[in-house]
Parts: sequence; C-alpha cells; structure tokens
Amino acid sequence: MSFNQSRQGLIHTLLHYLRAINAENIKEWKIEFTYKPDFVRQFIEPFVYLFPYFLYGFALLGGRYSEHLRSITGISDMVAYTFIGYLFIGFLNTACWAMGFSLRKEQWFGTLETIFVAPVPRWVYVAGMALHSTCHQGLIMLIQAVAIATFFAIVLHMSGIFIALLIVLLMLLGLYGLGIIVAGLTIALKQWWVVSEALSTLIVVVTPIAYPLAVLPFVLRKLSMFLPTTYGIIGVRHFLLGEELAIALPTIFLRLSLILVVWLTFGMIVFLVMDRYGRKRGSLSIY
Amino acid sequence: MVGSGEIVVDGIHKVFKKGKPDEVRAVDGISFTINKGELFGLLGPNGAGKTTLIKCISTLLIPDSGSVKVGGYDIYREPLDVRRHIGVLTGGERSLYWKLNPVENLRYFAALYGVPRKITKERIEYLLDLMGLTDKTRVRVEKLSSGMKQKLSLARVLIHDPPILLVDEPTLGLDPYFARFIRDFVKNELNRKLNKTILLTTHYMDEADDLCERIAFMNRGKIEALDTPERLKQSMPQKQVLEIKCQGTLEREMFSSIEGAASINISHGDGFAYLRLNTDNPEIILGNIIELVRENAKIYSVRVTVPTLEDVFVHLTGASLKDG
Repeated sequence: MSFNQSRQGLIHTLLHYLRAINAENIKEWKIEFTYKPDFVRQFIEPFVYLFPYFLYGFALLGGRYSEHLRSITGISDMVAYTFIGYLFIGFLNTACWAMGFSLRKEQWFGTLETIFVAPVPRWVYVAGMALHSTCHQGLIMLIQAVAIATFFAIVLHMSGIFIALLIVLLMLLGLYGLGIIVAGLTIALKQWWVVSEALSTLIVVVTPIAYPLAVLPFVLRKLSMFLPTTYGIIGVRHFLLGEELAIALPTIFLRLSLILVVWLTFGMIVFLVMDRYGRKRGSLSIY
Repeated sequence: MVGSGEIVVDGIHKVFKKGKPDEVRAVDGISFTINKGELFGLLGPNGAGKTTLIKCISTLLIPDSGSVKVGGYDIYREPLDVRRHIGVLTGGERSLYWKLNPVENLRYFAALYGVPRKITKERIEYLLDLMGLTDKTRVRVEKLSSGMKQKLSLARVLIHDPPILLVDEPTLGLDPYFARFIRDFVKNELNRKLNKTILLTTHYMDEADDLCERIAFMNRGKIEALDTPERLKQSMPQKQVLEIKCQGTLEREMFSSIEGAASINISHGDGFAYLRLNTDNPEIILGNIIELVRENAKIYSVRVTVPTLEDVFVHLTGASLKDG
C-alpha cells in the first residue's frame, strides 16, 4: 500500500470516527428532548445549587464584598469569585458522570452489545458522550453566566475571554482523561458510581471553587496540583476577574499540558485494559 | 483443522468463572465452517452456548482459545474488519433506541457503520419499504409492536449491507404472523435473493428444519451432531415415532423398562402433555404404553409419525430442546 493510499485510508477512518462521535452527540440530544421535565430541570438546578454558596458567603462576610478575600486573592467580590468557580462543576459532571455513565447507560437501554458490534473503537462512544455533555454543560453554563452576571452586575474582563477559553479547552481535555478512566471502570465494576461519587467529591473539595488554594491544608493543596480543574479555575478567574495568580501563567500552561497528556494516556490505557477484561470475562452482559 | 469458508471456527473454548465452583464451560472446543451463501443453523436448548458462540464470532467476547475467521478476517487481530463485514441481530427488541423513531435509529447506525451520507437516505427508505414500515417512519420505537420492532432490528442489521449475518433467536417471543414474516424474509430475501451467509441460532426445531441447509446440534457447549436436517433425521436408529397427547402427570422413568422404545421425551403445551418415543415397532409396544399412560393421565390422541429434529436431539443428548 502506497503512502498516499494509507494516508487516504487514515483520513477516511478519522472522518468515520468523527461522524460516529457526532451521531452519538445528536442521538443524546434527541433522547434528552423526549424527557422534557428532566431537560428543563437540568437548566434550573445549577441556579438552585449555587444559591447556598452565596448565602454562606453573605452570612460569613456580612455582605457581598470582603477585604480579607481581596487580601488573599486580589478580588473583593465574593459573588463573582464563587460563581466563576462554581461554573466548573458542570465540566466535572461531564467527566465523572456523563462520560463515565455513557456505556452503563447503553447497557440499561439494552443497546450496548448492538453498538459494540459496529466497526468503531469503543472509546468513540465515550468521546461522543463527552462532546454531547460538553455542549450541554456549555449551554447551561453560558445561560447561567449571563443570568448571574446580569443579575449581580458582575463586570467580566472580556479582553481575556479567548485565553480563558484556551485554558478551559486544555482543562477539558485533561478531564476527558478522567472521564474515560471512569467509563473503563464501569465495564468491570458493578457499583461503578462509587468511583464517580468519590472522584467528583474529592475534586470538588480540593479544587478552588469557592475558596482560594491558600486556605487548603498542605496535603490537599499538593493534591490539587494534579487536577486540571485547579489550573482551569485559577486561570479563568485571573483573566475574567483579575484574580492574582497563585501560580505563574507559563507554569499553568505547562502543567495543564502535562496533566492532559498524562490523564488522557492513562485514561486510554485503563479503558482499553478494562474493555479487554470485559470481553474476556463477559462482564458486559452480566449486570 | 477446519477448511476455508466465510465463517471458520476452529476449536474455540470459552469458560466463565474459571476455577470457581460455579464454573461454566459455555463453549467447549467447537469447530465448524460455514460456506459463502449458506444458511447454517445452531440448534440447542437455552444455556447450550449458542449466544456465547455468536458473541465470540462477533468480537463481543474473546474466546479462551481456538481461532475464528469471519470473511477472511481474524477476530483477535482484525476485529474492526470483522465487524464491518457482519450484521448481528441479537438482544431482541431492546437493541433499538425506543425514544427515537425508525429513521433516527437507522440514521444513527448508518453513521456508526460509516455508510456514505449520500446513500444513507435512500438505503433507509429502501429498508423501511422492504420491512413494510414506511407508515411508521416518524413513530417512536416504543410505540411499535414487538414484531415491528424486530422488523426494524432487521433493517438496522442490513443498513451497511453486510455479506454475513449472525441472527440470534430471531423469532423469540413474536406472534405467529411476525415469526412467519421473519422466517420467510431470512430464507427468501436474505439468503436466496441476496446470497447472504447466515448463522442462525434457535431453539425452535421447526424454524431450523424449515430454514437451514445444515444444522449443528449444540448442547452444554459442544456440538453433538452437524449435518443437513434430512441426514440428521435419517441417522435415527428407529424410523418411527409414537406420539401420545394426554392430560395428566407423566414421568420419563415410567416408560424406561419398555423394550423397543428409545429416546423418550415428555413435553408440555396448550394444557396437554405430549409423550414421544422412538421405535421400529409401534404396533408391538403400543398396548403397554397406553396401559402405563392411562394409570396417570387421560389420553386424547395417539399417532405414529416420522422422527423430527427434536427426536434426533433427544436421541443424541438425552435432553429436550425445551430444557434449559
């Protein structure tokens, strides 16, 4: 086979996989639209869950602004600080729940074996779910951001939006690595949600969502350095709100890039090993 | 060693829960070859290992040992090529997305199989027309009957026009009308007209007898016999079968002492018990048999007939196809 033929074959294969990923995304949208009350709930719930964060803040600070917060972050507005951090929980849901849940959901539908005999690698379905959930969560977060920023008159530095989005993109790729690990574990573990629950809880605690890294105990602060969400939130807060950087910008980019390579590679290895394990053991059809 | 063919299975084993007390030898050293354009049946009771075998051939499971080639591709080294060349009908009506309509389902699977966009639309129209579902294109699958869902599943399997089909229990749970449609479609359209190579599993003896050119009897993970339906039936040592339809309680042991009676099989259906036993001399043993049956049951009819595949299966394995 000539170089040109093999290149054309590769391009053809990639286009096939991309189409399959998009088909998965479209299918999920269509299925979600059929559960209308649940679809609406997903857009309302993030507002409801954000509210207690604000109430805690108001109760502790005696108002919206805090000199202490300014002294450790450079931002005095508790509402702006918290809401930017909170938006990232949506991305965490994409990794731990949507991607992790993707194969198990097909199993519940009864369609897992049907799609697994299609000529695409199995990670394609997880990638399709990642695309869908990123679009879905992105839409929810956009609506949330516009509504909260308008209601509380939060001024975002729009000049930093593109670099903030670049940081989010890198962070997301790292999170996808986490998501594909969870998806792989669901093949082998009966009570897979324990992994999702533990991971998402741990990440929410050690990621600076509603508080700066400085307040975390030493061990947790070190642990947070291995998570893409830490750098994502710090970077985005810096560029959109002007938070003082606890970590230098080049270091953020370097570590995010390293994390995404390590997590994605490790994620794919775990997924492929688990897929093989599932096919050897026959665990796909057990639960 | 097995020769060349469209599906070549050579000495495969699949054991679940290996080394544990509840170890299951689902497939135990099976070999066979299916030729291009052949309609090959795997007949056996529930739990015989038919579905596990189909899953191995379709790359859903990795066998413990042995080799399988499908369309010339190796299931271990070339699983994507294998999947490109097969259509797998398994999982019954749950193999579709119930919240989507038939067109949305088929469009999704066309994308998974890489069917070119420009022919996807006409392919879907063709298949829905072939299945008589053109008036249901916008109806959610959950609102279709079981038979219609199975027809749509068949359309799904054919969306990429595969040369090889693996069809697992295609008529299970369907009413007679749809079961007949599926059988006719598999035999006449897919096999005869489109020359597809088909591996069909079933535990319905009539289905296998009617459809398949060759049949492999599967029981406890092994192939007990493999031949054409006619030759399998001719292989029976006794050439006649005595069948008694009755109501009451019958046990196989009641008839074991009767000389000249073999492969005793008792089945139940429609509120009746059916006693079938193979013999060369029905007129000689009939009196004794009737006497024994009358002790526990009321007789409705007695007939002498020729052996069926069910009788062959009972003769070979001592188990009924309805067991399991």
